[in-house]
Amino acid sequence: MRGVPVGRRNLLSEWRRAFLGIAGVATAILLVLALDGLFAGAMNQITRIIDTSPADVFVAQRGVRNMHMATSAIPASEVEAIRRMPGVRWADPILYDTDAVVGKTAARQLSYVIGYLPGRAGGPVKIARGHEPGPGEIVIDQRAASRLGVTLGGQVRTLGASWRVSGFTTGLVNIVNSVSYVRLGDFEAARGIRGVVSFVLVGAAGNPETLAGHISTELDLSALSRPRFSAQERRVVSDMSTDLMRIMTIAAFSIGLAVIGLTLHAATLSRLREIGVMKALGARSGRLSRIVLSQAGWTIGAGVAFAVPLTAALGWAVLRATGNVTLALTAGSVIRAAGGAVVLGGIGAVAPLLMIARVDPMTVFRRQQ
Amino acid sequence: MNEIAVKAERLEKTFGEGDVQVRAVRGVDLEVGRGEVVLIMGPSGSGKTTLLSMLGAMLRPTSGAISIDGVDLARVSESKLHDFRARRLGFVFQDFNLLSSLSAQENVEFALNLTGQTGKRSRQRAQELLEGFGLGQRLGFRPDKLSGGEKQRVAIARALANRPTVILADEPTANLDSKIGHEIARLLRRAASEEQRAVVMVSHDQRLKDIADRILWLEDGKFRAATQMAVDPVCGMSVEREDSPHFNHEGEIHFFCSPACRDEFTANPGRFDRSPRKAG
Repeated sequence: MRGVPVGRRNLLSEWRRAFLGIAGVATAILLVLALDGLFAGAMNQITRIIDTSPADVFVAQRGVRNMHMATSAIPASEVEAIRRMPGVRWADPILYDTDAVVGKTAARQLSYVIGYLPGRAGGPVKIARGHEPGPGEIVIDQRAASRLGVTLGGQVRTLGASWRVSGFTTGLVNIVNSVSYVRLGDFEAARGIRGVVSFVLVGAAGNPETLAGHISTELDLSALSRPRFSAQERRVVSDMSTDLMRIMTIAAFSIGLAVIGLTLHAATLSRLREIGVMKALGARSGRLSRIVLSQAGWTIGAGVAFAVPLTAALGWAVLRATGNVTLALTAGSVIRAAGGAVVLGGIGAVAPLLMIARVDPMTVFRRQQ
Repeated sequence: MNEIAVKAERLEKTFGEGDVQVRAVRGVDLEVGRGEVVLIMGPSGSGKTTLLSMLGAMLRPTSGAISIDGVDLARVSESKLHDFRARRLGFVFQDFNLLSSLSAQENVEFALNLTGQTGKRSRQRAQELLEGFGLGQRLGFRPDKLSGGEKQRVAIARALANRPTVILADEPTANLDSKIGHEIARLLRRAASEEQRAVVMVSHDQRLKDIADRILWLEDGKFRAATQMAVDPVCGMSVEREDSPHFNHEGEIHFFCSPACRDEFTANPGRFDRSPRKAG
């Protein structure tokens, strides 16, 4: 059975200090969750064209294992070679480049520009308005169009040529770029290339991993199943952002550590005499430690409890404000942040625990000022 | 004397070494029986608090022995002393020393928790004790909402919660007015008489003499005969008759703690004479 909850009573009896402590921890967790969520949201968007593709296997130039910041060139003749391989249901080529799409007001939107065969794999999964690109036409994301100030039938420039906007996709704009689609032949003409494709998308009759292995072995190409190709894409983007993310996460946790440490330190310092009283009455150090740790636990628990809905609200507000920045709040990120907060609480409690271990119970005989 | 609750033999406590060595307690012998109230008086720095700390198992003596309830404290390991204090000793302090974030009832419950009593049982025991001290309407009040007398009654209830052998009280009435101080003294007396606790009080308060079975005078770390003591009529301090400044007024010899008190008295003795014939 439980005794008197001294830690919780101590925390709540000084509500200003408790509020500051909880607010500080909540702010730190909010920062961590928001950073993590923004990153995860961006990552989901960045890999969406891979994750939603009907292709089971992505084939690229030998050594190329992702799309972001990569260049791949495969002889067009290899497409037929792939099609002839056992276990291949279909194989469609795409051309791919990263370029700015420029609107009539000179507004620019960085975009993956994909050249594909209309009616085949490689094009947009869903066109929200308009139709697939005809000759000289382009499909862009609706939000990008809005940013560029163009409507259906309007003109944009990319790949060094002008294009008429034939359709809009949705959900393909992320924090850094968007995706645009043109016909494969138009892409070749605009770039002045012939007989080369960037990637080949393959539909597998059997196990995609097995097929990818066969293609890699039989042809001088890199072939990865969709999940592996997506994971590679995530890894590349993640590696490029890891240092920045780490610095920002450390900064956020440092704020949290400072807040929880100072809160516990101040709370313990203000009650040193009472700790002496408890020792004099017969409280063991273990019990006194539990009081400090329970204060830390309640502060962190309340901080996390406030931070999660606040992060969700922030995500909603950010999406409303920007339209293309999503904040993916997952159970995993909450558990990671809460785990980090528990570590913070543990570290923050070290100094107070040392302090209470040194309190002499004889302080009870000293007169209060 | 009743069954001995506290026994101290040739108790010594020395702080520091060499030139800065201080012998705070020098060869003190003390026996206190169950149901007995012993009042220890003495000037500041005489070793009262040091003696109380040793009796309270918070400070190990340099030499000598203390036994409480027949248990030699020297044989109780450091790790078991907490439990010993919680079960066998009750403390009452001048500054009350209640835990400020807990209610009156929780303060008493906390002491019970230290001996493993929790939940409904400890809540009931705390409630009964406080109701017995007339604090039934104050159970949920935090210390800052209680008067000085109420706080000290909560502190006494806390001290009695685990039915200790000994109650050690450090200036229990010092922060209280005359009426409340008398009430607190009566409660301590009651704890000794009705519950057979041994009560050891350290105080300068002359009013506590009324409830004490024995009065001991501690000076320079040693007990001296209290019969040789007198009360300074100016400042109320207990002073040793021998070697103290004194003044014969209308055939009665008055003793003073200092020449200053004596001079104040001699300037207008009537002001300090509390006998009925001079009153008014």
